Amino acid sequence: MEIRGWGLAMSELIPPESIVAIPSSLAGEACPERSRRGQEGELLRPRLCLTLPHLVSLPRGEREPALNRLVKWRKLGLAHICPLLQPALLLFLLLVYCLPAAAFDAPQEVEAFDMPSDGGGSIGLRWRAAPVDSSTTSYRIFVSEQDNGEFKQIAEFPANSHYETAVTIPWWVWGSKHQDIHFFQVKSNATVRLTDGRPYFFKVEVTDGQENAESPSVSTVPQANLFNWAKLNNLLIMLAFSVTVLAAIRHARVNPNIFLRRIPGLDAVEEAVGRATEMGRPILYMTGSDDMSSLATIAATVILGEIAKRVATYGTDLKVPHRDPIVMAICQEVVKESYLAAGRPDAYKEDANFFITSDQFSYTAAVDGIMLRERPAANFFMGAYYAESLLLAEPGAATGAIQIAGTDSDHQLPFFITSCDYTLIGEELYAASAYLSREPVLVGTLRGQDLGKGFFLAVIVLGTLLVTLGVLLGTPVFRTFFQFFGDFK
Amino acid sequence: MIFWRRSLPVLITFVLGVTFALQYYVPLPASEALLSGVSVWNQIIAAFAAILGVTSLLHVHYTKIRRKEAGWGYSVVLYLSMLATLVVGFWSGGESENSAFGWLYNYILVALSSTMFSILAFFVASAAYRAFRARSLEATILLAAAVFVMFGRVPLGEYLVSGVGQISDWIMSVPNTAARRGIIIGISLGGIATSIKIIFGIERAYLGGGRD
Amino acid sequence: MNDFARRMLSLDRRLIFLLIAVVTLLPLLYPFRLPIRVSPEAQKIYDYIESLPEGSVFLLSLDFDPSSKPELYPMSIALLRHAFRKNLKVVGMTLWITGTSMAESVIAGVAQESGKEKGKDYIFLGYAPGGANVIISMGQDLYAAFPTDYYGVKTAELPMLKEVRTLRDIQYAISLSAGSPGVETWYVYGKEKYGFELGGGCTAVSAPGLYPLIDTGQINGLLGGLRGAAEYETLVGVPGKATAGMDAQSATHFLIIFLIMVCNLLYFLTGQEGRRRG
Repeated sequence: MEIRGWGLAMSELIPPESIVAIPSSLAGEACPERSRRGQEGELLRPRLCLTLPHLVSLPRGEREPALNRLVKWRKLGLAHICPLLQPALLLFLLLVYCLPAAAFDAPQEVEAFDMPSDGGGSIGLRWRAAPVDSSTTSYRIFVSEQDNGEFKQIAEFPANSHYETAVTIPWWVWGSKHQDIHFFQVKSNATVRLTDGRPYFFKVEVTDGQENAESPSVSTVPQANLFNWAKLNNLLIMLAFSVTVLAAIRHARVNPNIFLRRIPGLDAVEEAVGRATEMGRPILYMTGSDDMSSLATIAATVILGEIAKRVATYGTDLKVPHRDPIVMAICQEVVKESYLAAGRPDAYKEDANFFITSDQFSYTAAVDGIMLRERPAANFFMGAYYAESLLLAEPGAATGAIQIAGTDSDHQLPFFITSCDYTLIGEELYAASAYLSREPVLVGTLRGQDLGKGFFLAVIVLGTLLVTLGVLLGTPVFRTFFQFFGDFK
Repeated sequence: MIFWRRSLPVLITFVLGVTFALQYYVPLPASEALLSGVSVWNQIIAAFAAILGVTSLLHVHYTKIRRKEAGWGYSVVLYLSMLATLVVGFWSGGESENSAFGWLYNYILVALSSTMFSILAFFVASAAYRAFRARSLEATILLAAAVFVMFGRVPLGEYLVSGVGQISDWIMSVPNTAARRGIIIGISLGGIATSIKIIFGIERAYLGGGRD
Repeated sequence: MNDFARRMLSLDRRLIFLLIAVVTLLPLLYPFRLPIRVSPEAQKIYDYIESLPEGSVFLLSLDFDPSSKPELYPMSIALLRHAFRKNLKVVGMTLWITGTSMAESVIAGVAQESGKEKGKDYIFLGYAPGGANVIISMGQDLYAAFPTDYYGVKTAELPMLKEVRTLRDIQYAISLSAGSPGVETWYVYGKEKYGFELGGGCTAVSAPGLYPLIDTGQINGLLGGLRGAAEYETLVGVPGKATAGMDAQSATHFLIIFLIMVCNLLYFLTGQEGRRRG
């Protein structure tokens, strides 16, 4: 065993059989492993250089096993050692066992900073990871409102956790994340309240339960930020889509002959209105269960306007029962304007739109009653629906009416599809208003939506390929691309 | 008049629409406070809308009774029921436990609502018998998936055919989820597009018809 | 044969209704009690509640009305039993006005059964109008969103809410919903903004639409319909109405499958006859 620093070279005194291989976990500083050939030319296992500084730097509990594994007393052949060296060796061993354990190195490069892109009340702490970080040691975080004040512990966690790589902030805000940097976020909560604009002082301490080492205090001031840069990707995508839609509308105004895919349900609208006129029976139109803030209700209102024009032209009876009084008031205006536009203001009936109740099943029961008593020739279910969808559509089917539904409530689609002759699925409802009216604005909007959908389709396909490639190659390089489509808070 | 009926609402919509679209990106406490302030106003408006609903209901049915239109007797029943519930509610002090109001709630409203919802079970069966036919390849695949899911969602199915529960779970969490996601993306984009039109005053159906 | 098939295809739906009634009723009278397999979605909710330390604040929003009581009421009972067994602090509320009384009775009932004290172990905030706006208000200041609880006590004076000022201070929320406002509303206006963990429960018809939210981690689990309620009763170890209803659901599913098979067979028979004639 070579012991450097003591001028003691015992390697020549150690018989070959004392050369032992030891686990690399006990390996000290870099030490040339020299394989030797024995007297018979056999290859001997490499020796290990174990230096005194390394031995004393081990935690107390690990020194004895290290020595026991390294030093085989019998094989050392103490009789071979120069008598003068025996006391030195004994002294050495005494020192190794009796010396106090060296203190941990205090956490290095500790830095406190205001967390970026937040509403204040949050501070980030960063420090370099140490080689000795393990599950047996832990870090403690202390905070104080004064540099020389009393520090209060606010967190403790194992030293092999809380790395910068776990931060869920995108690269354009945080920069690169390192595996050898610890990170901890201090947030205002019941234990610690961080007030914006006031400085706070932090210390990071490493401990194994017996000894500890503390960093000098660092301070920073939490502030609220004007803009959440983590949501920049969201803003850019939203703006890009908005510009696309507005540009498509502008283009449609100039060039209104944009191709629109045929939607079978809407082709049937004329057929439905004509059928009702021939049979002398009313048309029943429902605008759904949501209020005017729902986009499905807005779409349903626009379609009602178009159908009311046709109804006004043919002189058919129109009945529109409502669940929401505000929607009813708006639909009254819409229908009146449609009758005006069709040149039949005299045919307009004020009570074509009527309010029943806002309770879901009371409304459903009332409408079922209207269907069974008045037997409308055509039923339109447009808008957002909930559990009442089948309860409305099935009695309607039983009366033999032609039924056209359109909803963005995807959980109700199966019921409408089974009970109705035609169903507009999802955004076909929004497209329906464009299809019926052929207005450039609405057609242009559809085009803009389709461009957006095409873009996201391409992103999904490309993203799937890149994820697969990244997994196969074991590279994180594609994360830069993925993060741009991520959702960050 | 045009200004008050058209221009001013469109201007308010634009200002508030842009403000609250941008609010999402501004984390300042003042921004959050603005949002919660507007939320409180929305709650107040929602409460008043309930009053508007009741007033409208009473007006419609009063007109029906006055003109003795078809079914006006039901309107009388509605008036009497509303009055009875109000009287009983005030008399019970709004308490629902061990009170007449609670009795009305538990034995009339709960019973009637549950019954209406339960009718779905019967209607689903009759709709399935009438419409679930393997008319095409797609319809056949849909039918097979429906049968697997119906088998897999009940203990008897899992008992008779082992593994059908896992198949049912896979159908729900893979093809079903994928299809829902596609629909959600489409609906969301449609929603954003419609919101943009409303904010920029292109879509004014909410004002009572008319478009730019 | 063709005539028979055609007659059967236009079978009076009232006969189908009668069959459904009989097949639903019989297993309720003569249950056969089969074991219930727990789905991963229900297990996730159970495991998360199990992992919560004692004293954690658990918000249960009962966003349904009496029409959805058969499916969601047993779910709420099972969840409350679990929460009280884990000694969590339960905050109950509802966003649906017609469900207020029902929500209050389920929370008070299970609390009494579990020996819990109102104000100390659980509270019931009641109903506030506005749906998503209520959630946003709670996210900023719970005391402002609900100045008093359902029983008229000032929320700022409730011992249980001393350290719960906003939604950021709760550890877990579950919305049992029959529509809107519901689970999606709680995610968009609640979890997305205020960062608490969220689970969901819903009627069977809404369940398929909420699966995308599980995959993305927007909700950490889902109880779907009567089946979800029965699974949770199995996990909690206290079978109730949902478990009892599974027998009826099994029988009804089988009847519907049988009807679909029959109608397709008859449809093919009429189709084949038609083709032979052609």
